[in-house]
Amino acid sequence: MSSTKPTIKVRTKDVIAIHWFNAFFWLTLVLTGFGIISGDFVRLAPAFWPTFLQNLLGGNANLVLLHGIGGMVWAGVIGVYALLNFKRVVLPFLKNVLVLTPKAAIADMSSMVITLAHLFGLLKHKSVPPQGRYNGAQRLLGTMIIACSLAIAVTGLYLFLSPMLLDFAASAGVLGGVFRWALVIHLAAVLLVLLGLVAHIYFAVVEEPESLETMKSGEAEVAFIKHHNPLWYAELEREGKV
Amino acid sequence: MVAKYVMLADTTRCINCKACEVACRAEWDTPLGYSRDWVKEVEYVNAKGLPEVQLFPGRCQHCDDPPCVEVCPSGASWKRDDGIVLVDHAICSGCELCVPACPYDARWLNPVTNTISKCTFCQPRIDKGLQPACVDTCVGRALIFGDANDPNSEVSQLLKAKEWQKLVTDEVNIGPNHYYYTAGKAIPDTVMPKLNERHLSGTLMENIVNPLGTLGIGGMMAVFLGAGIKKLIDRRQDVSNKEGSHEQH
Repeated sequence: MSSTKPTIKVRTKDVIAIHWFNAFFWLTLVLTGFGIISGDFVRLAPAFWPTFLQNLLGGNANLVLLHGIGGMVWAGVIGVYALLNFKRVVLPFLKNVLVLTPKAAIADMSSMVITLAHLFGLLKHKSVPPQGRYNGAQRLLGTMIIACSLAIAVTGLYLFLSPMLLDFAASAGVLGGVFRWALVIHLAAVLLVLLGLVAHIYFAVVEEPESLETMKSGEAEVAFIKHHNPLWYAELEREGKV
Repeated sequence: MVAKYVMLADTTRCINCKACEVACRAEWDTPLGYSRDWVKEVEYVNAKGLPEVQLFPGRCQHCDDPPCVEVCPSGASWKRDDGIVLVDHAICSGCELCVPACPYDARWLNPVTNTISKCTFCQPRIDKGLQPACVDTCVGRALIFGDANDPNSEVSQLLKAKEWQKLVTDEVNIGPNHYYYTAGKAIPDTVMPKLNERHLSGTLMENIVNPLGTLGIGGMMAVFLGAGIKKLIDRRQDVSNKEGSHEQH
């Protein structure tokens, strides 16, 4: 960090590594996934993309294989990491980020709306309520990403492995039906996460580059925490960390 | 010029001997109870009050605008430049999204391969310069196959010489490349294509998930692009205000 302002270590190297691992695999899997879906009725990317990628990799069979293996590596590494670091990383993260009650969802949504309105110079008279380690928008996005990632991993495994391992014809249409619905859930979950990622990337790059810096160095400026996350700052104060 | 393969069926020459079906099943080793081609027998009472039978040999119609290709998520269903609609079995998942999409009921899930099976006009035979198995074996010469883009081909000559019909309706006209000669008789409704149906999951993906996803992501990008532009304008304003106040001092 080039700044000389006082900082505090808020992320460990392994958390930073898993974040960028996740980001890299998301980018790769989204690009390859949109290259697989080819039919005009169900395709989302412009027609040139599946054609280009399938030609590049010598056919859709290779692309499906790459996407499937990539997806299993993504889910496998994050799954194993989560299991091995459940108490140290996962549990505190879930505790901070999960929005589980309607009351919490309404509070987070309200603070998210105020934050978004401020971007356009609206609702200036309303200030964002004091936030903890994650703000309302981050908590809502985090909850959505966790739910969608689980759905993507489960449906992805079924989409990749079931045609190889299961006998669709013997199931009187049941396994094929599950495949078709898994495809809908897989796609919808990816689109939901992409929606959130637009905001996530904008805030990290444009509004709060300090957060991006933290995701590289692990260090956060104390003044930034005090200003943006006063409840977290108070917590750190109580713990004697600042 | 690229070939455009078509199949002609002269219904006045078909005797429903099923040789075409037997040849097809032998050629493609289809499981018991399944066939890639068929002969539909339609009985009715004609205008003179007499019973009459019409025979319609059928198979995939290799349409110009095939809904089975458009609905296939993996691209396993595809169309060659010469018009033949094929299935790439290496990537077909057997999800059956294409099965109800076909208005001619020409597709089915093969219980042996767990992939979709359909008539390919015997593409490997054609590529070797042979005729499709059903055409080769048709004892009444009711089936004629060939390149409609070749003016000297038998099919081109026959298409000019006789009045052929296609299995199309006002609702379903997707450019089938299978022609029928009925000697002027109307084609019974039972042979006509059904309205192509869709699995609910496919419809949901096409009409709700994809449009909402596109709108949502596009909307989000527009919103944050707007926010970024506003931030840039505000920053410029700040800079020029500061410069203005420096000049006054």
